[in-house]
Amino acid sequence: MKELVEYIAKAIVNAPANVVVTEETGENGILVKLEVAPDDKGRVIGKQGRVAEAMRTLLRVLGAKAGTRVTLEIV
Amino acid sequence: METLEISGKTVREAVKKALKQLGLTEEQVEVTVLKKGRPGLLGLGVEEAVVRVERLAPVVAPGVEEVGDVALEVVGELVSLMGISARVEAGESQGEGEEESGKLLVDIKGDDLGLLIGRRGQTLASLQYIARLIVSKRLGARQSLTVDIEGYKERRYRSLQALALRMAEQVKATGRTVALEPMPADERRVIHLALADDVRVTSESSGEGEDRYIAISVRS
Repeated sequence: MKELVEYIAKAIVNAPANVVVTEETGENGILVKLEVAPDDKGRVIGKQGRVAEAMRTLLRVLGAKAGTRVTLEIV
Repeated sequence: METLEISGKTVREAVKKALKQLGLTEEQVEVTVLKKGRPGLLGLGVEEAVVRVERLAPVVAPGVEEVGDVALEVVGELVSLMGISARVEAGESQGEGEEESGKLLVDIKGDDLGLLIGRRGQTLASLQYIARLIVSKRLGARQSLTVDIEGYKERRYRSLQALALRMAEQVKATGRTVALEPMPADERRVIHLALADDVRVTSESSGEGEDRYIAISVRS
């Protein structure tokens, strides 16, 4: 899960070195947390959340394959 | 590198002549003035200007090929990170009109890719959006790029065109407005384009986001 988010985030931000992605499994499936430099936050969220929404859609494919829910949180 | 030495009445004129011969523009060459030339007086002491014009190495903006390589790599990486084994191939989109055709297309090929297309093509749309974003960021300029899966879009667009024409006939026959099911932006565009030349009906989008749909009605 985490690798996909990491690849996308690092490719679209200005400070790829500051991209940190963690993954934890909880009651509601897998939670992927994405952390970027403050200046890059807008880039991973996108206008009207479009980028974040697209990442969530792609994560759903991985979730469906693994039979679990995946939630993406941008912190 | 092509060079040409040429003379003329003035430097200006010599350069002009050279460019004409080489079929280049001023931005594509470097001009060295070898002899400035003198207009002379009453035809005495006239000296022609001589210049050397050298063709510069073309500044390559990322050509289609380079964009293609990056696009293939990015889409391939995304697909494999999504846990799906498939091949990616470059192609040119065959859409209607000049604007559509010739654009870069990456087609994903493999078995059982329904999951990657998603409901109403939503996953495919997200994949294309992210791929465009990454490719544009890498190349430093916005790139147009279409991502397709086993020709899904081509087929979908064709059936949407047929649907649009069928519905338009129905609207003309009954005079009643027909609302189509919600569609993403690119699919709505296909419908609008298909009906653009029809003077008897008009198509209009309403609704927000995922629920945006087209209604076809008689043109008043």
